[in-house]
Amino acid sequence: MVIFLCEDSVDGIFTGVYEAWASRLGHSNVALRTAGLSNLELFAEYRTVITDAGKAARVANTIRQKMGEESYEKIYQASLANADDKSDCIYRVLTVGVSVHTDPWLAHHLMEKLQDPNVCRVSELSWKVFHEAHRYTGFVRFRELDEGVLFSEIEAEHQVLPLIGEHFSDRFPQENFMIYDHHSGDCLLHGSGKPWFIWKNAEIDNILKRDCSANEQEIQALWRTFCESIAIRERRNPHLQMQFWPLRFRKWMTEGNDS
Amino acid sequence: MRIAQEMELYQKLAVLSDAAKYDVACTSSGVDRNGSGKGMGNCIAPGICHSFSADGRCISLLKILFTNECVFDCRYCLNRSSNDIVRASFTPDEVCRLTIEFYRRNYIEGLFLSSGILKNPNYTMELLYQTLYKLRNEYHFEGYIHVKAIPGAAQELIEQTGFLADRMSVNLELPTSESLRKLAPHKTRRGILAPMRQVQLRRQENKEEIMLYRNAPQFVPGGQSTQMIIGATPESDYQIIQVAEALYQKFDLKRVFYSAFVQVNQDALLPALPGGPPLLREHRLYQADWLLRYYGFGAGELLSESHPNFNVALDPKCDWALAHLEQFPVEVNRADYYTLLRVPGIGPKSARRIIQARRMGNLDFAALKKIGVVLKRAVYFITCNGKQMYPLRIEEDFILRNLLQVKERLPMETATYRQLSLFDDGRVFGQVPKELLIAGG
Repeated sequence: MVIFLCEDSVDGIFTGVYEAWASRLGHSNVALRTAGLSNLELFAEYRTVITDAGKAARVANTIRQKMGEESYEKIYQASLANADDKSDCIYRVLTVGVSVHTDPWLAHHLMEKLQDPNVCRVSELSWKVFHEAHRYTGFVRFRELDEGVLFSEIEAEHQVLPLIGEHFSDRFPQENFMIYDHHSGDCLLHGSGKPWFIWKNAEIDNILKRDCSANEQEIQALWRTFCESIAIRERRNPHLQMQFWPLRFRKWMTEGNDS
Repeated sequence: MRIAQEMELYQKLAVLSDAAKYDVACTSSGVDRNGSGKGMGNCIAPGICHSFSADGRCISLLKILFTNECVFDCRYCLNRSSNDIVRASFTPDEVCRLTIEFYRRNYIEGLFLSSGILKNPNYTMELLYQTLYKLRNEYHFEGYIHVKAIPGAAQELIEQTGFLADRMSVNLELPTSESLRKLAPHKTRRGILAPMRQVQLRRQENKEEIMLYRNAPQFVPGGQSTQMIIGATPESDYQIIQVAEALYQKFDLKRVFYSAFVQVNQDALLPALPGGPPLLREHRLYQADWLLRYYGFGAGELLSESHPNFNVALDPKCDWALAHLEQFPVEVNRADYYTLLRVPGIGPKSARRIIQARRMGNLDFAALKKIGVVLKRAVYFITCNGKQMYPLRIEEDFILRNLLQVKERLPMETATYRQLSLFDDGRVFGQVPKELLIAGG
């Protein structure tokens, strides 16, 4: 058994798929694992995969052509997940989806075949990532720093920054904003009128210490007042509130602390 | 005597958001609009929940009244003219400033603007129009705006405002015109339905305008909604759900909201409701509302004159299934979409996935579990390849007892012994109490 160890990123996993396929060892003799997420195994030969953007792009194009855009989106989202079996499941799905022996109709609809355990797992991971990203489009809270830059901190379980970057750039095209993810250590940056990008392993200690702008406290107080007065006292239901708004999200939200 | 003084912004916000909280419409859904690049904001069709209040409801819009001064005296309303409460008004600039500052910090999806009636309906509607105009054109706000149409306002004002908003709504308040006459004598049913009809017809015209010219300005792209108070008047669930069905079919509404009556005023005409607001009833109505919109049910199938109220112990779908056991079991590998939807435990997502997945091979119960079917409910009503999951009797009492008692586990996982009795008539736990007998059974 030869195990290809990929970097924990989309490009890393796609390069791993490329290498595993190109090694021509046979699909049942290879497996993919993600560095930093999986344990080392005995009785296996390890090969580290060096991430290559060109190879990853070729794999991505093949997936798009053979399996269609929606399937590609699901596989892309699944590769952002925080799970140790993601790269192997993606590889098994692609061995069927991209193979020349599969007919085009099946390749395009492969992600609907939930009887297959690998397809089911990839679908599940893709939904988890998408769902967390969707929640963060609502739960991200910006505070205005003294230079007019909007700054936000989150702590996401999966790598959601690429997914929410698109959303916020469309929403605030003229604003300068930053979203820092404590879990992965990456920071999303957007300058006014420019496209967004991700700064890996960002060092933002000096930004965390910066003061907020003059009216920031006033706006935060107004928001807390609003959240309190909008609740109907006779219908108080903290359990229901916790179901929709888990405690782990409240740490970085204005109305979740000091209120 | 009026005592007036200048209020701080945060006092106004506290008063006017407290006054708006009984208007339960809070969705920011229905419109997909990308930002233009020159303004601020966009709209996402599924809507985004930004926070949740202490009563468990979603906070997605800045929900405020423009003013809580009101010339009407509706009995159930906190802001009625005969109540002695603190009154406040915003200025259009204050509303715009709050919306923009909250929006850019990602606190909200947009604005929900309602109002008490200041002076007369036209005057109030004009103020709302000015606020929206400023927000869209001076502040370049492109996010979601939900505005109330004031019943009695001029048609031109409603039309102008509709081109600036994403959703408009006018509250039905009470399900029948007799109740409305009793509790809100200034409002008439006709006065409420007229703006609803106007918005509906104008939206139809607008769809044709957009077909001809793609960049034509959009009129209320998110559609209309409305709200009814549940429990303030003695209508049955059947009457309420019939009203909702008529509104969906004849007025093309997107949503009907049901608001459990909360006692805010001491009034002889209002019920005392010692048990608190009728939350379970409201919950059943929302379940039935979903069945009407997504599951293809009709109001007459769920309830009738002889059975006018929902079952307390069972949700309407299970209730219907138990009353129509001749339609089951459903073969999962062959049934069509709407038949699958009628099975308790299968919803639109699971039904769609079943139909997609079975094209590539027969499904068994393990696959159904992975697809997301709620087997603890569905197992009584379906077969896979002709076989049930466990040998279960398709019989009312048996299924009802199991649905009510086995909360989290499948039936075979609980104790399988039975207390033997000399009079073995097949009942394990005794007679089913009368209140729990299902409709038509």
